[in-house]
Amino acid sequence: MTSRSSHKVRAIVLRSLDYGESDRILTFLTDEFGKLKGIAKGARRSRRRFANALEPFSLTTLLFSRRGRGGLALIEGSDVIRHFAGIREDLDRTLVAACVSELAEHFSVEGKKNLPLFDLLADFLDFIDTGRMTEASERFFELRLLKAAGFEPVLDRCVTCGTLLEGIEAPQFDCREGGIRCARCAVNGPDFIPVSAGTLRTLLMGRDIDFERMPRVGLSGLMAREGREILGCFIRHLTGRELRSVSVLAEIRKRYTP
Amino acid sequence: MTGYAAPIQRLIQELGRLPGIGEKTATRLAMFILRRPDEEARRLAESILDVKEKIRFCSVCFNLAEGELCPVCSDPARDRERICVVEDPDSLTAIEESGSFRGTYHVLHGALAPLDGIGPDQIRIRELSERLLRGGIREVIVATNPSVQGESTALLIMRLLKEKGVEVTRIALGVPVGGDLRYTDKMTLAKAMEHRRGM
Repeated sequence: MTSRSSHKVRAIVLRSLDYGESDRILTFLTDEFGKLKGIAKGARRSRRRFANALEPFSLTTLLFSRRGRGGLALIEGSDVIRHFAGIREDLDRTLVAACVSELAEHFSVEGKKNLPLFDLLADFLDFIDTGRMTEASERFFELRLLKAAGFEPVLDRCVTCGTLLEGIEAPQFDCREGGIRCARCAVNGPDFIPVSAGTLRTLLMGRDIDFERMPRVGLSGLMAREGREILGCFIRHLTGRELRSVSVLAEIRKRYTP
Repeated sequence: MTGYAAPIQRLIQELGRLPGIGEKTATRLAMFILRRPDEEARRLAESILDVKEKIRFCSVCFNLAEGELCPVCSDPARDRERICVVEDPDSLTAIEESGSFRGTYHVLHGALAPLDGIGPDQIRIRELSERLLRGGIREVIVATNPSVQGESTALLIMRLLKEKGVEVTRIALGVPVGGDLRYTDKMTLAKAMEHRRGM
């Protein structure tokens, strides 16, 4: 019989699902074990043991145990490190936090430690919490997340022949290959999206700047649309579908933004 | 389950579809029903059919109703200028049992849950807006749950009703009656301090 091992980790709540009379099934992104799924018995009744620490987007110290590496972990307790109250108090911030959490859930692997991804999500939730997020920062987050997950798109050179961006006229983004193509290599591709060099240069710059400087980067209407299109298309290609929270965010922004 | 006669197997299968009921519990329930008098089993079956045939949504507030209107909307003594917005009929019942509210309700049948793909079109938020357009409403009290989903639903309602000439309020958050501050979590305490009232 495998013995039950206990662990204490930092974790971000990605998803919460009510189960049975009083339990909750949760998905976390942890610093030590990557994505982790667990059950918190009696979580909907016990205000003391879990004390609001299982709400989506919360950064917590999580105590859990499990047998082996498969199956659901048993969540034994959790303490909040950060609630990100600023996110909960604003609809746009909540919707963006949902999008970045869903992205992190998709691009993390159960049981596989990915500290850069964990730190990126924690830092970006903190950034959203302060209310300084912009459309540009959402794209920069997507780029950083793809990099941390090992799917960084190639934006600085032709993905086929290696010609540098500076030497490419009318670059096109190939969603299947995850990179730009020069005019010579982009012949009649089914998933090619024209993208301006200015948009690509802004994305490359935003990929590496500090969070502090992100709010200062503005995107023109064209850049915003191109950035959304190429990264959205690439992410859809990798995940196989549109992310649910992205659809809800788009719907609310379109119909309910004053 | 293969050892049971076919009708029992069918009953176990049907009971097993209920939320939170696994095969063992379904088997226990099936055996319980089997051992009860015929009349009792018939009453159970009839009450299930009754619910399915007679219960519909109230045409005004979308609470569960036996006719066109639910008991609250058909009560002439209710204050129709105040609407309390709740996520589900269970929340409505909880407020009714508290006896603290004499207005009417609007049941959303859900809350915004972007991670599950539940947006404004999946809950009855448009119907709330249409109800307000018909006029005669002075206050909308948003009583969605104090969870991330409930809060975001409340924020969307506030955005929707802004500049519609209606007062929009949110139920208070804070320390439960009979509670102990030492055992109250940080966020609830912060909310309690933030929403403190004059005495």
